[in-house]
Amino acid sequence: MPRKAKSTAKPGGFVSTTVEIEGRTETRIVEMPAFEPAAWTDAAELGIVGARVPRMDAPERVTGRARYTADITRPGMLHAVILRATIPRGTIRAIDLAPARVMPGVFDVLGPGDAPAGTRLFGREIFYAGQPVAAVCAESVRAAHDAAHAIVIAYDALPFAVTFGDAVAKDAPKVSAKGNVTRETPLVMSRGDVKAGLAAADIVLERVYTTPVQLHTALEPHGAAAEWEGDRLTVWESTQGIFRVRENVSKALDVPLSNVRVIKDYMGGGFGAKNGAGSHTFVAALFAKRQSRAVRCINDREAEQTDAGNRPSSVQRVTIGAKKDGTLTAIYASIDVPLGISGYEGGPGQIYHEMYACPNVRTEESFAYINASGMAAFRGPGYVEGAFGLEGAMNALAKELKIDPVALRKKNFTKREPRQDRPYSGNALLECYKEGAEAFGWAAQDRSPKTEVRKKLVGRGVAAQVWPTGGGPPAYALLRINSDATIDVLAGTQDLGTGARTVLSQIAAESIGAKLSDVRAIIGDTESLPYTGNSWGSMTTASVGPAVRMAAEDARSQLFEAAAAMLDAKPNDLESRDSRIVVRDTDRSMTFAEVTKKLGNVMIIGKGSRGPNPSDTAIMTFGAQFAEVEVDGDTGVVRVTRFVAAHDAGRIINPTLAESQLEGGIIQGLGYALFEERVLDHKLGLVMNATMHDYKIPTMSDIPAIDAFFVGGSDPVANHTGARGIAEPPIIPTAPAIAAAVSDAIGVEMTEIPLTPWRVLAALASVKRG
Amino acid sequence: MRLTVNGRVHDLDPAPSLTLLDLLRDKLSLTGTKLVCDRGECGACTVQLDGEIVYSCLTLAEACEGANVVTVEGLATGGSSPELTPLQRAFIAKDAAQCGFCTPGQLIAAHTLLAKNPRPSSDEVRAGMSGNLCRCGTYPKILEAILAVADGEFEQKTEDGGAHAA
Repeated sequence: MPRKAKSTAKPGGFVSTTVEIEGRTETRIVEMPAFEPAAWTDAAELGIVGARVPRMDAPERVTGRARYTADITRPGMLHAVILRATIPRGTIRAIDLAPARVMPGVFDVLGPGDAPAGTRLFGREIFYAGQPVAAVCAESVRAAHDAAHAIVIAYDALPFAVTFGDAVAKDAPKVSAKGNVTRETPLVMSRGDVKAGLAAADIVLERVYTTPVQLHTALEPHGAAAEWEGDRLTVWESTQGIFRVRENVSKALDVPLSNVRVIKDYMGGGFGAKNGAGSHTFVAALFAKRQSRAVRCINDREAEQTDAGNRPSSVQRVTIGAKKDGTLTAIYASIDVPLGISGYEGGPGQIYHEMYACPNVRTEESFAYINASGMAAFRGPGYVEGAFGLEGAMNALAKELKIDPVALRKKNFTKREPRQDRPYSGNALLECYKEGAEAFGWAAQDRSPKTEVRKKLVGRGVAAQVWPTGGGPPAYALLRINSDATIDVLAGTQDLGTGARTVLSQIAAESIGAKLSDVRAIIGDTESLPYTGNSWGSMTTASVGPAVRMAAEDARSQLFEAAAAMLDAKPNDLESRDSRIVVRDTDRSMTFAEVTKKLGNVMIIGKGSRGPNPSDTAIMTFGAQFAEVEVDGDTGVVRVTRFVAAHDAGRIINPTLAESQLEGGIIQGLGYALFEERVLDHKLGLVMNATMHDYKIPTMSDIPAIDAFFVGGSDPVANHTGARGIAEPPIIPTAPAIAAAVSDAIGVEMTEIPLTPWRVLAALASVKRG
Repeated sequence: MRLTVNGRVHDLDPAPSLTLLDLLRDKLSLTGTKLVCDRGECGACTVQLDGEIVYSCLTLAEACEGANVVTVEGLATGGSSPELTPLQRAFIAKDAAQCGFCTPGQLIAAHTLLAKNPRPSSDEVRAGMSGNLCRCGTYPKILEAILAVADGEFEQKTEDGGAHAA
């Protein structure tokens, strides 16, 4: 059984715990909470948690009242525009800012040497096209834009590398100050003996899988508005991490943390690209300081598609060995990832070690810097790319062995997390396979096309996923009961469109026994709210949720203390529901409002924090996805006609919102499988499709009927709410499931995405040629 | 020039280069309509102009003289606790807005679609709405909401479908 980390640590004492973020494991020192609420097991009788209540801020979103960063205006506010390099590598020989300064409406211009070193802005050395080289502040966006393009720059161009191969070639140009690779020899993860495993195999397959660069393409671009009052700076930012932006700004501009306030109210998507301050933040703050005026700086779409993060491409050379019965004996993958000019080693390798019970696994990952905009975490970073290789190889293996691909996966199901040899907090992956296959009708052999107009080929495919979703400390929450018994939940977290406001309100209402309509979650302000971490790594519900629950239980204890005297009862005899306190087994009761009215402005404030994670335990979300496609044999166009997804994420706080996230992940995965690919011209080093017309994301016409649902139940080992994360898992297996379906339809294994018509036609032609 | 926006008459003097989107957002403080691609590719800036949907980012304000414009703010009536339209209530009930940034454009496009074709098929909705991009992938819920309204599911304002449904 997994162990809880409680052991000897007393409340208030400090313990060490591990937290997994985007697949990376971090060790943290955390104080033990004052108390730990009893875990909500499947037996817990919950009414609000688990209910399909509508998104609480939806009325704001459907009336245009929701205010996003670009909607923020301040008195006298100015606008900033960033000018970006038009070459991938070189130096600025000369730059003339003067023409911009005399343009109408211009207040200020910044160029090389004008920004503090901590901002890394406006260097003379150019490392990628799109790198900021100057910025203009003016009375309107248009005036700033026109002036920015009046700046005259002379570049000395240098040789560049925009592919992995070019960057690691013997005579490669120097890509960056850090060099051309993150390490001289590959990053190796290994268990067992792959050579021996392959020797013991009855069948060995070798494949090469290729994935493209995917752009986040959040509809709301990166942006910030900044305003100073003396030494104090307020930043409105579209971000997944208000406290991280505060830290970034504090460091870059050398301002104490307490003098920086970061506010994020509504946000138009992030998907991993909005995890800290950026050029736009520093530009807004610098101009605001110099001009003593508020300044707003919002990326235009071209900047958003060229310099706002991306999922890097990959080439994965996979060797997989198995016995005749499908038992895996070895998996080996050699992987190349060109990161862009910056990034981290969150590569495709890790999922190869975590998905299946294979004794011998080895990955060798090489990461190169190239002269293109840096990568950023993008929903399921690394695992999405890795799943395309690993799950592709599993499907190829199933075909070669003539074993059903679902049966092959069940055969290699692992009862323990194999990379670190740990127990799971909970794992219903087998149920995902079973219930997903049932819902899809996997056993049936219906291959009739849905449309009869052209030559249609029908196919089906499956793929699976794991992803660490335990969340963890530190995260804090407060809960205030106002004198009219309305309740404020305070937590410095973010709602990216995920529904965090709603989910946290549900947890608070359930825990304190209030009507949901009496509860409001206040989030997104570093000045007035307690710390929580970034909303990344599918962590918010599992990190902040327990802190909110504890704050609510703490407040309820205080409320019961106050009410006990009024009801002539003991606190232990009280229960609460629907904002009413009842003396157990009597008809004596008071509403919350009756109690708080008597208290007047004596305010009950509950405090909660996120405790440590259970030690040596893998907390993960699982899933299996099933796709049916129709391929037009004449045009190569692929349409996904049906899609089923079954996932296990522990307790689901709000099934409606959670299913929306599943659908969203699947649809982004469908784009990755069929359409999405940043095109970087190798000769010019420039992005060729930095628009929403040329970079294709799915439209409503591209979407099949999606049946996405949850299996399994509460995970009381993970944390006392029983919930794990769900944001990233659904995008992970989508592309390999669709690629398997296309392979099944056309009889050619598709190992490279996106599955564009020309790629599919080429595959079909290869069959015809024989 | 005179322009009617959400039933209110405005006398305006826009610069020749000013787009309808910038006029709405910057001059009239109607920030519900969003700027996303700035070139008529994503549909986020969709507004109704004399009953037809247009990309307000590609429409010059000057060209709208005498026109009647409806934005997302003009759908519901009644101030801060507005009477929502059936589509707005359906969007809430069916969870048809995740981040909500494309939602104003989706709502205007959907209202216009239903005004022209009150009982669209699923394929007609897919085709009609395919000019409005959503990166959160809320399409299944948007489709469901529009079809539910077409089916009359939201004709009567229900107690739990109102502005503060939760």
